[in-house]
Amino acid sequence: MDRKKLYKGWEEQASKELRDKNLEDHLWETPEGIKVKPLYTEDDLQKISHEIGLPGLPPYTRGPRATMYTNRPWTIRQYAGFSTAEESNKFYKEGLKNGVMGLSVAFDLATHRGYDSDHPRVVADVGNAGVAIDSIEDMNLLFDGIPLDQMSVSMTMNGAVIPVLASFIASGEEQGCPREKLTGTIQNDILKEFMVRNTFIFPPKPSMRIVADIIEYTSKKMPKFNSISISGYHMQEAGANQVQELAYTLADGKEYIKSALERGLNIDEFAPRLSFFWSIGMNFFMEIAKMRAARYMWSQIVKEFKPKNDRSLALRTHCQTSGVSLMEQDAYNNIVRTTIEAMAAVMGGTQSLHTNSFDEALALPTKFSARIARNTQLIISEETGICNVIDPMAGSYYVESLTSSIVEESKKLISEIDEVGGMVKAIEMGIPKMRIEESSAKRQARVDSNEETIVGVNKYKPTEKQEINILSIDNEEVRKRQVSRLQKLKNSRDNKIVESFIEKIKNAASSNENLLEICIEASKNRCTVGEMTSAMESVFGRHNLSTKTISGVYKNTVKNDGKIDIIDNELSKFVNKKGRRPRMLVVKMGQDGHDRGAKLIATAFSDLGFDVDIGPLFQTPEEAAKQAIENDAHVIGVSTLAAGHKTLVPLLMESLKNNEASYIKVICGGVIPPDDYPFLYDLGVSKVFGPGTNIQEAAIEIINLL
Amino acid sequence: MKLKSYLKLFKISNIDFSKEIGISNVSLSRYISGERLPEKKILNKIFKLTGGLVDANDFFLSSSPSRDLSEIHKEEIKKMVLNIRKGKLKDLAKAITLVESSLKLHKAQADFLLSKLKQNKNSLRVGITGVPGVGKSTFIETFGMSLIDLGFKVAVLAIDPSSKRTGGSILGDKTRMMKLSVNKNAFIRPSPSQGNLGGVAKKTSESIRCLEEAGYNIIFIETMGVGQAETTVYDMVDIFLVLLLPSGGDELQGIKKGIIEMADVIIINKADGNLKNTAEITMLEYKNAQNMISNIREDISPEVFLCSSTESIGITKIWNFIKKFEKIRRDSGSFYKTRIQQQTKAIWRNIFLQSQDYIENNLKYKDSVKKIIKDVEKNNFDVNNASKIIFDSILKRNT
Ligand code: B12
Ligand SMILES: Nc1nc2c(ncn2[C@@H]2O[C@H](COP(=O)(O)OP(=O)(O)O)[C@@H](O)[C@H]2O)c(=O)[nH]1
Ligand SMILES: [Mg+2]
Repeated sequence: MDRKKLYKGWEEQASKELRDKNLEDHLWETPEGIKVKPLYTEDDLQKISHEIGLPGLPPYTRGPRATMYTNRPWTIRQYAGFSTAEESNKFYKEGLKNGVMGLSVAFDLATHRGYDSDHPRVVADVGNAGVAIDSIEDMNLLFDGIPLDQMSVSMTMNGAVIPVLASFIASGEEQGCPREKLTGTIQNDILKEFMVRNTFIFPPKPSMRIVADIIEYTSKKMPKFNSISISGYHMQEAGANQVQELAYTLADGKEYIKSALERGLNIDEFAPRLSFFWSIGMNFFMEIAKMRAARYMWSQIVKEFKPKNDRSLALRTHCQTSGVSLMEQDAYNNIVRTTIEAMAAVMGGTQSLHTNSFDEALALPTKFSARIARNTQLIISEETGICNVIDPMAGSYYVESLTSSIVEESKKLISEIDEVGGMVKAIEMGIPKMRIEESSAKRQARVDSNEETIVGVNKYKPTEKQEINILSIDNEEVRKRQVSRLQKLKNSRDNKIVESFIEKIKNAASSNENLLEICIEASKNRCTVGEMTSAMESVFGRHNLSTKTISGVYKNTVKNDGKIDIIDNELSKFVNKKGRRPRMLVVKMGQDGHDRGAKLIATAFSDLGFDVDIGPLFQTPEEAAKQAIENDAHVIGVSTLAAGHKTLVPLLMESLKNNEASYIKVICGGVIPPDDYPFLYDLGVSKVFGPGTNIQEAAIEIINLL
Repeated sequence: MKLKSYLKLFKISNIDFSKEIGISNVSLSRYISGERLPEKKILNKIFKLTGGLVDANDFFLSSSPSRDLSEIHKEEIKKMVLNIRKGKLKDLAKAITLVESSLKLHKAQADFLLSKLKQNKNSLRVGITGVPGVGKSTFIETFGMSLIDLGFKVAVLAIDPSSKRTGGSILGDKTRMMKLSVNKNAFIRPSPSQGNLGGVAKKTSESIRCLEEAGYNIIFIETMGVGQAETTVYDMVDIFLVLLLPSGGDELQGIKKGIIEMADVIIINKADGNLKNTAEITMLEYKNAQNMISNIREDISPEVFLCSSTESIGITKIWNFIKKFEKIRRDSGSFYKTRIQQQTKAIWRNIFLQSQDYIENNLKYKDSVKKIIKDVEKNNFDVNNASKIIFDSILKRNT
């Protein structure tokens, strides 16, 4: 029988099963705008536009290596770091004993932003969301007993990339490992910092120069080190859909290639050392297709730069399961989610993988939760037999079709970026950030109106509270320790030499000498991360991000199930009583750059009819109080995710009190462990809204509060 | 007549009067201050005793804040004014809230507050307009910081567009004025426009007076540069700055020609990086077209400047021109003359707004008016006569 006839037969049968419903109604439009059919057939395989090929060969759609996991499974690489170097060192060693194969260092936000632990702006940040590294001394402790010539180390560092990478290289040499033997990856992807991750320090131009300095230096002196990890991960976590994640990341990659070429490097000198980083969320097939589309598209993009070495065309990637898909409510569900996501990453052919812990939405992982996360990978790798076949999804009617659709959709976005003159320009204009925030607002609107299900949050809610032990860090204690170690360092080193290096760094910054090279020597001579950064800062300046906001997206997406009417009604009552709309100042204090929630709250609340002031990132509590007073806000909405709340909120309350402005109410939202709620309420905080908050319900509560 | 005025007029002491109606002195003063309303029996006595000069209405109206304010409220406002002079941010901020509020009580409080403020002739009120994204906030940040270095106290009123559909708004301007917003000598207040541009402008000029009372001597008013708000803002500032992007044509920039015509200073912003050349061409275009720009000020012509707010280029030149502008106009007296003219305009604008308010919130709901409208709908009455009758009814009421 011919295929057409066969398909007709299926349609008839399906229509019968659907009874009064239409087959066309069963098209699923994904958040990326891709229309997915209920059935894919051989015919669809004829229509694909990408080339499938074979693993290890261009265009590498099926994977960068010929043998993939059949020879060696992916690297289990768990991202971790907290409080002090000693603590983190212990944690790494424990992991290495239990199946972890590569280290991945998470730094605290003070280090990310180039401040030493004794800087007044970082009282709430030291040691909280990662490990505090002030100098080579801390690096030495961090890798104590871990031979760097044998262990590959990945470091998530972007803003303070020069001093931190320099201290790492210097520390390696003090340990006896020459720089050419170092293996691992430095994230060094500054473009996405301006877009979504927010740990930039310098303005875009000098920042791009630093990226090129590093690519240049590593390509010449550290042949086994990946000079950059071009990251889509943070975009998806900030709200991007998969097509946006892919397109903007590849566009970033293009930009980095261009700037390295401008340095006079040859494409084959550095392209094989570029690596990528994806987020893997719950849309299982979409994620697999995304990874395959990425490899295909990258090979096409690099081809335009005429490499001679095929390895330049191969996209290698790290993946992390999506943190934002994990919920505070019914937290054990997260183990299941992470498993599904890890499966997608593996089916998509990742080179290394981090799996999140189930307490992701509560705090940094405990020993217990970290162990389960690790085991998730070990189970997939060693109990399922999945590793025995390369790229098992290839040829799937659906996956290949989806891969093609993603390629098409991504191309559209990339050409939008090309049209304005590349990613640097587009970022300056705020285009990608705006698109990502739109996706984020849409997603929240769908969840708030129950159009997207999150088990345990907006459906099948648990009836009993679960007790979960979480990790709590005494940030004050860590800070004291770091500060005294800094003091000791400053007393024992030769400060004259330090000063001469500071001058050298300034000179290098204002000329075109390689900054990394000089900072390696500076680190050896005990210059601190903060000192090296401020030397560069004196030349480059510190970048301020101007916050742009979108409006209307939330309201246009959300379905009115009556709550909107209640809000309208409450609001007009409020205006009649108070003479103006409720005015809320949304603030981000400290170095916490998680602004997805704050932006979302700002745009959604204004859509719902509030007057919303939005503060800049990195405010101090005093600054936030001043702004709230001047604007005569009814309420300050603190959004806090990086564990600074126990330090920052008391300071904010005090600052309000000192200005006789305690009439301004304070509410908090974000990642706040339930155990800390009483502490905040005792301070006078009126209400705490945790992850998974339904924004409309929150709005009603807040109006009533005022 | 108010009881207080009656007693004063006829020189009757509170104690005597309270004895005559048989209440305590304390109760009487409560009635007078409006803290309490007399009950019907007492009201009748007062009516009789005063020969009908003080009737029930006088009490109700005095307690209705739109007409008059209780002593307590007055004391509060007086304290507020003192605190504003002392530089307390909180009181200044609250004063602006009162001025902006739609609540009757707040309006009455604001009226009283404004009556307590002095005239400030030394301040400089600077209007700044231009399309969204041209760099107004960034310009104010850079310019404002340099003024603070010179010893000025700088205030910024930013009028943000509210979203029409929901009425809510996002006010993010301070994120673009980072240094200014944390500086002790700067005060920034973004205000939602709530769709009523004329109305906001009225409130803005009153907010300016509060800021002047607090000692801010340079006051920026940032508006969006696309609507009618500009003409109203123009009528409350001493100097009007229009920011333009480096590219040709007003239409292209989405700015109305009428707005360019009002400019005292035209600033081509973003004259940096690869826009530098375009900026220079744009400057020349405007310089050449200057004879087309009507000269509103009799004593000084508008000038065109290049500027980069992010790289702080051209700021000094602009400041020098503004100083010159101010000096010439102060010396000639035109500076003050304009302010006086602006006051007259403000009176009519306020009256217009109040009438509008009266029509929207009062007149439209009157039974007699509703009846006339019904009649028109039923074709019993023509539009022309209907409007005439309604308008006459207002006039009759008020004469
Ligand atoms: C997304 C995310 C990121 C993104 C941030 C993108 C962005 N621009 O915001 C990326 C990938 C860049 C990122 C990076 C980092 N992250 Co992160 N991240 C998350 C994650 C997965 C989700 C947060 C989120 O955006 N959720 C979605 C939004 C909509 O939810 P929300 O903010 O909670 O807001 C809701 C409510 O809380 C409430 N709400 C929030 N604020 C307010 C305010 C008001 C007024 C009201 C009424 C309500 C309200 O309403 C919202 C709607 O429901 C969380 C874990 C988790 N699942 O929560 C970790 C998490 C916050 N990150 C963490 C860390 C450590 C980091 C890093 C510091 C890692 C490192 N060392 O490098 C970096 C640095 C980032 C930085 N600059 O600060 C830790 C913090 C640990 C802690 N608190 O102890 C967490 C908890 C993960 C973990 N368990 O380790 N992260
Ligand atoms: N290159 C350049 N960019 C500027 C300049 N002034 C402002 N900008 C940028 O233009 C954008 C809009 O500025 P903003 O002050 O918010 O504009 P407003 O809407 O007119 O207040 C921001 O991203 C600024 O950084 C300038 O002089 N040069
Ligand atoms: Mg602005």
